[in-house]
Amino acid sequence: MEFIWKIGGEAGFGIMGSGILFGKVFTRTGYHAHVYSEYPSLIRGGHNTTQVRISDAPVHNPKKTCNLLVALNKFAVEAHMNEITERGGILYDGDEIDLSDLSLPQNVVLYKVPLLSIAKQAGGEVIMRNTVAMGATLALLDYPFSHLEELIKEVFARKGEHVIDVNIRAAKGGYDYIIDNYNASEYPFSFEPKPQVKRCLMTGNEAIGAGAIQAGLKMYCAYPMTPASSILHYVAKHEYDHNIVVKHTEDEIAAVNMAIGGAYAGVRTMTATSGGGFALMTEAIGLAALSETPLVMAIAQRVGPSTGMPTWTEQADLKFVLNASQGDFLRVVLAPGDIQEAYELTQHAFNLAEKYQIPVMILSDKFLSESTTSADIDQLNKIPIQRGKLIVKDMEPLAQKEKFKRYEYTDDGVSPRPIPGIIGGEHVATSYEHWENSFSTEHFETRVKMVQKRAKKIDELVKDLKPPALHGPEDADLTLVCWGSHKPIVFEAVDLLNDAGVKVNALHFSYIHPIPPKAIEMLKSAKRLVIVENNSTAQFGGYLKEHAGVEFAGSILRFDGRPLFAEEVFEHAKLILDGKEKDVAVYDKERVEYYSAKLVGE
Amino acid sequence: MVDIMDLTTAEKPQWCPGCGNYGILIAVKNALANLGRESHNVAVVSGIGCSGKDSHYIRTYGFEGLHGRVLPVATGIKLANRKLTVIGMGGDGDGYGIGLNHLIHSCRRNLDITYIVHNNEIYGLTTGQVSPTSMKGMKTKSTPHGVIEMPIHPLALAISSDATFVARGYTGNIQHLTKLVEEAISHKGFALVDVLQVCPSWNKVNTPQWFKERIYDMNQAGHDPSDKLRAYEKALEDVMTGYEKVPIGVFYRTERSTYGDELPQIKDAELIEHDIMNVDMSKTLAEHI
Ligand SMILES: Cc1ncc(C[n+]2csc(CCOP(=O)(O)OP(=O)(O)O)c2C)c(N)n1
Repeated sequence: MEFIWKIGGEAGFGIMGSGILFGKVFTRTGYHAHVYSEYPSLIRGGHNTTQVRISDAPVHNPKKTCNLLVALNKFAVEAHMNEITERGGILYDGDEIDLSDLSLPQNVVLYKVPLLSIAKQAGGEVIMRNTVAMGATLALLDYPFSHLEELIKEVFARKGEHVIDVNIRAAKGGYDYIIDNYNASEYPFSFEPKPQVKRCLMTGNEAIGAGAIQAGLKMYCAYPMTPASSILHYVAKHEYDHNIVVKHTEDEIAAVNMAIGGAYAGVRTMTATSGGGFALMTEAIGLAALSETPLVMAIAQRVGPSTGMPTWTEQADLKFVLNASQGDFLRVVLAPGDIQEAYELTQHAFNLAEKYQIPVMILSDKFLSESTTSADIDQLNKIPIQRGKLIVKDMEPLAQKEKFKRYEYTDDGVSPRPIPGIIGGEHVATSYEHWENSFSTEHFETRVKMVQKRAKKIDELVKDLKPPALHGPEDADLTLVCWGSHKPIVFEAVDLLNDAGVKVNALHFSYIHPIPPKAIEMLKSAKRLVIVENNSTAQFGGYLKEHAGVEFAGSILRFDGRPLFAEEVFEHAKLILDGKEKDVAVYDKERVEYYSAKLVGE
Repeated sequence: MVDIMDLTTAEKPQWCPGCGNYGILIAVKNALANLGRESHNVAVVSGIGCSGKDSHYIRTYGFEGLHGRVLPVATGIKLANRKLTVIGMGGDGDGYGIGLNHLIHSCRRNLDITYIVHNNEIYGLTTGQVSPTSMKGMKTKSTPHGVIEMPIHPLALAISSDATFVARGYTGNIQHLTKLVEEAISHKGFALVDVLQVCPSWNKVNTPQWFKERIYDMNQAGHDPSDKLRAYEKALEDVMTGYEKVPIGVFYRTERSTYGDELPQIKDAELIEHDIMNVDMSKTLAEHI
């Protein structure tokens, strides 16, 4: 059983917040939800939409269609009427909007609810139209009102009785209006509350932030940049709960260097940014690598190059992240596919960074970072903390003039790492090539041995990397290869394909670099490979070609700012399999312009 | 009492003969020894430039980072563990050019860090290009026809950015410099010590003779470092007098709570002392239900 609710209107009317609230009504009563928002890079004006997918089973991605469109203005109807499924509906304010000049799709039911006047009668304002609409929707779904009422009390608790009352009255007004004026049982969707489980609703960024806190994060340094900023906000909100020092620094260069300084001093630190900020951080990645200081960074990709489209999604920074900073050195790149993975991989990132004393990058994107998904709390696992060869106890004092062999050659390439304050560990962490005792050098043999020492870490490291996840039948005619945020989208497409009798499976990579050894075997055993990515040049496909020696029979790419939708992957995978298509760039031809100039001006 | 030999490394400094860096190194080591700072409790952070080597020649913990990024690294170290004595060492290009942003914000932030800028008015390591403190008209490799811009006034900048300790020393007076560095390290808050030094290889304008004719101890001459406006005036005295007079000493000193003092997160224990093995997420995750 599944239901998709979409609300659209002008920015600044609490559209995104209402998606979360609506989702929570259901995740608190035994359902799963995924909340996906689209918005332009503006605070006011412009078009915003939020789409809530409610389901019995876990959901991690939006669909192209919706079952009920709540239109807060006429533009929302014009823009989205073709997404409404058969017998779906449009809920709108008939007093405010006239739809008679639009040729609406057939079989769409119109629910005219006087959103504004109900809000006003309740003592509220125009901003509460979405609350009225939420109440009305619940009535259409035959859902008891009480759950929304409870939530409103909770959410507005700090704003006082009056605000709570007004909101409840507004929601109830919408609820009653449907009961009184429509026959809700004719609406083809209906839900019943189920027993509650401990299920949370969180964004990818919240999962990254929470994962970091679980991993013992003590210092978080960052400079705001969409869509990474909400990690900063999340950790800052919890800075007292978990005694974390959170610093909004003067710039990204300061953020990453501060994180490196804190890590050198022995605490778990982290920074996060998006492409532009990451560009400023690149020099310091090499600093972490050469000084062998653990570094954990999260990069939430948005549409580039340059400022690009700040609030839209893309996976086009992969090659940049894989190659950022001068010189040859070992790094790890992880790309979580959903919030559980975001929570766990972030913890893992800290372990890998400390065990191997290397930079570790968590690569997300606007789609994962800002979409909200439900997950059961008992599925958000704690990973045991591993700190590697950190020395936190005093040693024998060094002889005069002697330095600790911080960069000692070892079997696994990892050297003991005493932190400042420890007797007997005095050394320099340095950005120059160095001797074992950390003094800088240009001695050729030492240079070569040091490069080899650092590279040797990979032998142990690969044992900590997980192979890609296989979804679908093992003996498929086609294998879709994807990475990071596109896991649930491609997996759902695989399910749709197999339901339609097409034998397709998928490999999803969350351990991107180094390539897990088993991955190459898995790729090579596939009959035909098709790469599915959210960029224009199939960056991951190119990377696999280079490092795994595989060829792709086709590609399904999208780079218009949206994630791919499962329906699109389904459709194009079939066409590729039938030899009718090879390399596809997907985008909506009747693209809605979310930017205000168009909206207001025309 | 700390023996100066405990702060000495086996490696011999490799600067040009007559370089001011030798004097700064001696002054910092003396100051640390005099203050009884033990080698394992000190972190010296240096940038890239001739002065970047400092962290290698003092036997403490050290971090030799990137060009211009001394202060962010020092800030991270200090926030992690305020029990450490954290000293930043950088050049004028490093601190007043590429890394200037960090200086201004470090002044505002007022963490307990000492920042010693080796100000030779030139880029040394890269063989003699103009620096933000080079005097107008100075001919360098990158300005063969003379510098057009006015030089930066780092002390005035620090004072106006609410630094709590602002001083200038000179490598021709090691005793005075040692004392300044001691005061800076003892000062609770961010301390900037701008050190005028010669660069015998690349700076042919600001020679030992040039300094000798101009430098005087402003505190001996009666300057009161608690007077902020007067300190600001003093910080501009060199330019205002057409470089007839160059004051050294403590320009400005005040007390203000440090950044760390205002963080309840580290009131009872330093970040490195927190237990991270058993973080309880139940309440935090429950907020998402
Ligand atoms: C990002 C970056 N840009 C440029 C350089 C090259 N570089 C090294 S030191 C230096 C300037 C040195 O001048 P200063 O900071 O005044 O120190 P000095 O050598 O005079 O002590 C430059 C430009 C570098 N290492 N990193």
